[in-house]
Amino acid sequence: MASLTSDQIKVLEQSRQRLVQLTRSLGSLIASLNQSDPLPPWSSLQSQASIISNNLVSVSEHLSDHRDLLSSLVAYPGPDYPGRTQASTLEQLLRTKLDPRVEDWVARGRAAGTEPPALDASNLNPSAVAAAAQAQKPLSEAELAELWEWAPIEANQEARRRNWGGNFTLEEREAGIQNVVTGLKRQLEDDEGSEDEEEEEEEEAEESGEDEMEVVGVHRKSGGDGFEFEIAQHHAHVVEPVVPLGEILRYMTTGRMQ
Amino acid sequence: MHELLLFASVPVHQHHELLQQLAGLTAMQPRHSVERRLIFKAYRKPGLVTSRVGGSQDLQQSGDLQRVNKMLNGGMFYTQVVGPVSESDFSPAAPAADPDTQMEGMDESKPPVQGTSSYDFEQQPWKLEFRDIPEAGTRSAVTSRVMASAALPHGDIIPSMNAWGYSFVTEYVVEGDVFIQNDIVIYLHRVLHYPSGEQEHREPRRHLPVLKEMTPLEKSGSYVLQASVNVQDGSNQETMKTASQRLFGLREQLKSAVRLEQADRLCLDTRAK
Repeated sequence: MASLTSDQIKVLEQSRQRLVQLTRSLGSLIASLNQSDPLPPWSSLQSQASIISNNLVSVSEHLSDHRDLLSSLVAYPGPDYPGRTQASTLEQLLRTKLDPRVEDWVARGRAAGTEPPALDASNLNPSAVAAAAQAQKPLSEAELAELWEWAPIEANQEARRRNWGGNFTLEEREAGIQNVVTGLKRQLEDDEGSEDEEEEEEEEAEESGEDEMEVVGVHRKSGGDGFEFEIAQHHAHVVEPVVPLGEILRYMTTGRMQ
Repeated sequence: MHELLLFASVPVHQHHELLQQLAGLTAMQPRHSVERRLIFKAYRKPGLVTSRVGGSQDLQQSGDLQRVNKMLNGGMFYTQVVGPVSESDFSPAAPAADPDTQMEGMDESKPPVQGTSSYDFEQQPWKLEFRDIPEAGTRSAVTSRVMASAALPHGDIIPSMNAWGYSFVTEYVVEGDVFIQNDIVIYLHRVLHYPSGEQEHREPRRHLPVLKEMTPLEKSGSYVLQASVNVQDGSNQETMKTASQRLFGLREQLKSAVRLEQADRLCLDTRAK
């Protein structure tokens, strides 16, 4: 049994360090969740989560890089190991199976990683298996691009088919609006009746040539054609400021423009 | 008091969207505000002895004179007098009805004088707002300046201002919306001019025109976004630092919408030359 070279010890040392970092960042996330009241802002949670995920990535890279070495290593106690006093540590070091709890985690992780999409085991005809394999295969670049090209247009068309305005959909109204779960504390009004009036008002406002900013519903088409969609809404009336900010501030300060 | 500021220019097409974004960010509805702002300028009072350099034999007296003159004339600043008004203070939009029908409708709640509102100049509250020129050479990327404000008597403030050595320069109206986020006051506003065609006023208007007839200073109607934090003790480096950190935090949050930045110091120069 050859003893370890210094390089191999270095590898072990590095894995220890990375694991320590991982446990530390996990510990700090747990502590901040437990202790801070109210909860820390989402930005800090998110940054902590990204730190943890970076740590995980580095641990996993490290482990897979040195897979050969790490899987062939065997731990055994030296003659001078204080087995009597450190028995529990010794057991941990010498155990060949994982802790039952850890085993559960690993099993769950494996299952999540390799789970086939809802494949019915009793129905194992070849076409279903092929379809499942198809579904598992990620889309190619071209297919993705095609999907992205298709989706906004299709979504827009779907949206244009509907008559927007009001708080409830037609389906919801037919089923009775009192059954709709909005998740809101306030009561939403069913404003079916007032819709037309609003639109008329807006039309009037537009006709009378007011500033478009005073018309809050500028995104609504006046012809009753539904809304102008957000996709097209931006930059429809781009007017860049003519007077630079500095000049405005100067005027506000001294009443003069130079 | 110190004031730390960041500014951004907001094109008109972005205004509505930004209002909604700010309402979401600050979890409050915008508080609409309309203010009259009068600009006053300090002037050198006539009759003060101008020291003739080297003209006097009596060095002692000349030194005293110089000191007194410096005290009296040293810091001459533009200052603003701000008066909050409401939209109902402006004249109602020119009624479609002609004066004849108004004569008939004597019992209407409208005041008999055509084109005036309930605006009462004598009851207009005013506030004097002094702003120093922003501090030079600060390494932090925010505009920081000394500020002070004080309440003034209601109504006609010209006599009091004149007595203090300030003369009326011009006035304009600022309309906008205020949001508050923690310590930060976010003010999205723009300057409105009084309708042109009126003769140059030498004193504040006693009647307000129709709000719709006011024209934005920036012809495209763009807005200015101002984020400010007030610090009571400007000499305390710690609080000043915290305040600018807050502003930087806001700048980060709004980064994808607008670019808040420090204003050019000379644009906010309030010294009267």
